[in-house]
Parts: sequence; structure tokens; C-alpha cells
Amino acid sequence: MKRRRILQSLMAMPAAAAAQSVTTPAAPEEFPKLRVASVESGAAGWPTLFSSAQLDALAKLGDTIVPSVAGRPAASQAGVPEFLDFLIGQSSRDVQDLYRQGLDRLSRDGVNEQTLAPLKEAWSYAGPADRFAQFLQRAKIDIIQATTNSHEWADSLGRGRRGSAPTGYYWRSLD
Amino acid sequence: MATTQTVHDVVIIGSGAGGGMAAHTLTKLGVKCLMLEAGPMTDFDKDRTLVNVYDLPYRGFGKPGRFPHVTQASEFDANMWADEKQNPYTYAEKEPYYWVRMRLVGGKTMRWGRASWRLSDLEFACKDHDGFGENWPMRLADLAPFYDRVEPMFRVAGRNEGLKQLPDGKLLLDDSADSVSVQRFIASCKKLGVPTTKPRRATGTLASSANLLLPAAIESGNLQLVTNAVVREITVDPDTGRANGVNFLDRRSRRDFHVKARTVILSASTLESTRILLNSTSRQHPNGLGNNSSGVLGRYLLDQFYVKNTVQAVVPEARGGRGERNLMGGGGYIVRFRNVDQRQGNFIRGYTYDFGSGGTPSPRYLPLYGDALFKELEELRNTGFGMTTMGEVLPRHENHVAIDKNVKDAWGIPALHISQKYGDNEHAMAKDAMEMGETMCKGAGFEVIAKHSQMVPPGESIHELGTCRMGTDPKKSVLNGYNQSHDVRNLFVVDGSAFVSGGAQNPTLTLMALSMRASEYLADQMKKGAL
Repeated sequence: MKRRRILQSLMAMPAAAAAQSVTTPAAPEEFPKLRVASVESGAAGWPTLFSSAQLDALAKLGDTIVPSVAGRPAASQAGVPEFLDFLIGQSSRDVQDLYRQGLDRLSRDGVNEQTLAPLKEAWSYAGPADRFAQFLQRAKIDIIQATTNSHEWADSLGRGRRGSAPTGYYWRSLD
Repeated sequence: MATTQTVHDVVIIGSGAGGGMAAHTLTKLGVKCLMLEAGPMTDFDKDRTLVNVYDLPYRGFGKPGRFPHVTQASEFDANMWADEKQNPYTYAEKEPYYWVRMRLVGGKTMRWGRASWRLSDLEFACKDHDGFGENWPMRLADLAPFYDRVEPMFRVAGRNEGLKQLPDGKLLLDDSADSVSVQRFIASCKKLGVPTTKPRRATGTLASSANLLLPAAIESGNLQLVTNAVVREITVDPDTGRANGVNFLDRRSRRDFHVKARTVILSASTLESTRILLNSTSRQHPNGLGNNSSGVLGRYLLDQFYVKNTVQAVVPEARGGRGERNLMGGGGYIVRFRNVDQRQGNFIRGYTYDFGSGGTPSPRYLPLYGDALFKELEELRNTGFGMTTMGEVLPRHENHVAIDKNVKDAWGIPALHISQKYGDNEHAMAKDAMEMGETMCKGAGFEVIAKHSQMVPPGESIHELGTCRMGTDPKKSVLNGYNQSHDVRNLFVVDGSAFVSGGAQNPTLTLMALSMRASEYLADQMKKGAL
């Protein structure tokens, strides 16, 4: 209301007078809701867990599991290696070792059809007995989820499009 | 310790399904109640905000290690679930128990699946049926009038089938048409003699104690709801040994309080209620409140075992979006069919399934990656058909909870040690359910892409029951047929801990019917001066 009154009074004033008058801006009657960005939107995560060789292997693995198809980002374009460095860095020691040992092996043997053969084995609830195969199965799901839940993935699909990232009610800390 | 002069007629501990129904029922009858809830009241406008998953700090993965035992907690709703560090419990190293808790007004009805099935006399008279365990101190006919009233309150929708193992209810009729894939599946079940029905659940995702039970109780002027009251113990009169009040702490300041009560209704959730009773020791009740005659307080812990996605199938005609328009969608429920009229298989009791048509199978099932994986996921869009098994778990003496004297929660209250293992009967049932599920899917012409019979750890179904069971014999049970302590006449326990056996039916509807029945009995006894 107040803002509209000021606008009306400005419009009523001759242009010259309006230009000369010095007005104190009215305080907004409601506290504004400012559009803000989340941390990942303009910055890259700083890796702290994996070595550069491990990160390089993770990027190659990521882009092999989720390559860029039809305008969608590949895993590395969605910042997945840096994100998983952060996520696994917060996980248990056992998960960290699983990733580091798996990435070391990929770094040594390369990311190719031979090394990724365990990903073509049939699914079982118990999972594979081999630790490298366990790493690949876990990394596959982590990479897909980290990519499809990224800003970049949602942007490539356009807002509100079928298959774009899920939205939900976030519950704040209850006190 | 702080004291108050007021002696409350009834103090109710817990605001979930059981406590909410007790408050609703008693206040309607003019009984003044004070309710103690350990958590806060939530405000949907202030406490929640709509966000995209990519704006969450962990991209929807959640903070690793925050909820090692709550697989249901997502990064969106993590703050709703009871914090595991503040609320510790223990188990033997190789026998993990997943204790899932929610501490806020409404309890776990703030997040329940709303499935609402009646128990049948196959459960109430289970010992008569197959000789195992104990009968309940009631039959369906005793509880049916209360089921009749609870179902309309929660606007339970479904379809009556006239089956003795799944009693009919007072339902909003769900006569929606089934999709073609569901019709084919039902026909396949029929050939095997397996009964099916519509899902049966409370209408509305918000259907909870907080919006269906508590508002009327508060409006009546007879209920005072106290939040952030973490109960330590129920106190007893040193002369009579009867309950005379409750000691609790302010959740935030940890200040100690005491309320005086003529009658105490305990409904803090199955294991929290038993924990409070075990912690309520006194000269008269050295082994926990109400545990003198039987010694079974904490014993006969059971739940319902789940095998999630025991069968994952694909409807082949739906591939590539080529199916007819009403091919996919919807779901239903497979009613218990084992050991109903005659003994079948190498186990007793039975199991049920939820089944659902539609959606895309998880990439974990597909032995592919890269372009090939994403092409196949596109091809399989909206072709999925999944089944989840829910099985009856036998009540056994060795499955139990006890106080772990070495561990205390954030309020200094001794924690629980939980000991539950599934036995041969459950394992045999899970295996049978996997094989039968595959047969049903194949009979419908579906392609089974994955199957397994691995039960989730005990507790994960969030259907924990028993440990303070009812019965006619005070030597074998803690409560009588009205959820009243055999030993302490002014103490009632109206949550899942009172269950004698569990069936495979989701338990909330039954525990609300029991709470309503116990509360009306209590009000009547108060009027007669019997308490």
C-alpha cells in the first residue's frame, strides 16, 4: 500500500520535480524473501580425500557409467568426482578404503571393458564376494544418484520436466 | 525435585496412536487428562520448506552415519526422526536391531504408511489354531465394536472380501478399476488359490494422531498437552505399591519435574514403554513396575519381518512405452493364504505382500552401465512390478529387552539392550514367499528380473510389538484383557507392547482399537470408584 502511494505521488509529480526531490525509501512492510543460491551453484568442491590419480580414475569411471547423452551432463560435468570425494570423506573408514583401493586398481589397470566386467554380472541381493566388484557396484549407484541429483542434471532437463530432480519438504531442525 | 500440588486424574505418556486415542476417548467421557510428550509440537508452515534435492548439502544422500539404523530417514526429513546419539541403545555385535523412533507430537503417526488391517481370530486364538504361543485374552468379537469406530475416524478405504483371516471393516469403498497388469496378476493369484484385495489404508497423507485424535481432546478442555517432557520413570506409593505419578525432565533444560497422578496410561511406543517400566524400580517392584507376578516384562519381543522387493518384475508388453493406456499402475495386497484351513509348508502362521505396478526398476538390477544402461532404463520406464513380503514373527521368550546399566541417554536415563533374532520359522516363510511371489508373477506373464528372500534386520519394519503382553494369567502376562497391569491396578499400557502375537497385518489400527477399549473400561472403573 505504502509503496503504491509513493509511486502514485511520483507519477503525479512533474518530471523535473521528481528528479529533484530527495526521498527516504520506505522500509518494506514485510521482510523480503531474497533469492539465494546454494554453495554448489557457483563453486567447485575442494577435494580432500582422494589423491589426484584417484580423482582422475573416479572421473573416468564416472563418465563411463554416466556419459553425456542428449544434452545431459556426464558425471564429471556434474561435479561428481569432487562431490563423492566429500561424501566418502564423511563416510566410515571401511567405505573410504573400499573406494581408495578400487580407484587405485582402476588407476593402475585403466577404466575399460575388462576392468568393468563385474558390472555386467547378474544382480544378487548379497552382492559379489570380490571386493573390487563390490566397489564397482556401489560406485555405480553412487555416481548415478550424485549425477541425477545435481544442479547440472536438473538444468539440462529444464524446470518441472519429467524426470527432473525430485523436490520435497525439507524439515528444519526441531527444537 | 520439583513437586506440584495438583493430582491429575489421568496422566498419559506419549501422544502417538495409542496415547492420542486414549486422550480422545477419555476426554470425550469427561475425564481430565494430562499428556506428556517427549518431543516438540511441529508447525508445518515454520518447520518445513519445499526444496530441490540438488540444494541439499548431500544431494539427497543424507549425512553419512547420522542414522545407521533408520533407513526410512531421508535428507529431507532427517530432522523429524529421533537422534540416535541422544537416544542410544545396544545389541550384541552380530545381532543388529534397527530401532526407529520419532519424538514429536503425533509420534510415528506423523510418518506411518497408514495401512489399516484388522487382526482375525487366527491371531487372537493362535494357540488354539496351531498350538504355539499364547492366545490373546479376547477374540475378534470383543474388539470388533472398537475397530468399527476407529476405521471411520481414520477414513480407512479399502474393499471387504468376507475372508476369515482378514476381517471386514467399516470402510470407505475402494471400487476403483484395476489396471490391466494388476488384473492379470490377480488372475494368476486366483489360479493358485491366493486371495487378493485392494490396499486398505487411512485416507490422506496427514492422517495422524496430531490431526485426527488430539484436536478434539484439546478442544474439550479436558486435555492438557505438555511437550518436551522426557519421562524417566513412573513413581509408586511406598505404602501401596500403586502408581502415584511420573518423573520427567524438560528435554531442553534437563530440569527435573514430577507430576502426581491417580492413574497412569503408558503409550510411549512399544520399546520406550517397556524401558520406562524397567527403569521404574522400587522396593515393591525391584524388577520393574508391574513385573512381580510374571517376570515376563521385556520378554516376547516380536515384529513383522519385511523382505523388500522380494520379487522385482517387468511387464514385457509395457516396454518402450508400447503398452495400452491402462496397462500399468495401481497395486494391491495379498491376503495370508498359508496355514489358514490346513497346515501347509515347513512353517506355521503366514505372510502377506504389498504389490505395486508401475515405475522404473532401479538401475542396481540391471547389469549394464553407460549408454546401454540409460537406453534400457528408458525402455523400462513404467514397466516395473514389485512385491514386498510382510511375515508373521513368532513371539519367543528369548527375544527380549533389558536395561543396559552401562549406557545412558542424553537425559541420564538408562538405555535398552535389545536382543531379537529371526528363527527357522521366519526364514522358511521368507523363502516360501519369494518362490510363491515368483510363481505369481510368472503366471501373469511378467518377466522376473530379480528376487531374494533376505529379511531386513529385526526392528526395521517399525512394527515392534510385545514385551509387555496381555493375558488372562498373571503368571504369564503383564497386562490383563483391558491393557491394565495385573499387579498395579492404576497402570495401563496401550501401545504395541501389549500385543501377544502380531500376525502379518500392520498393527496401528489394532493398537488404537485396544486403546479405545481400555480407555472406556478405565473411565467406567473410575466412575465406579474401582481405581
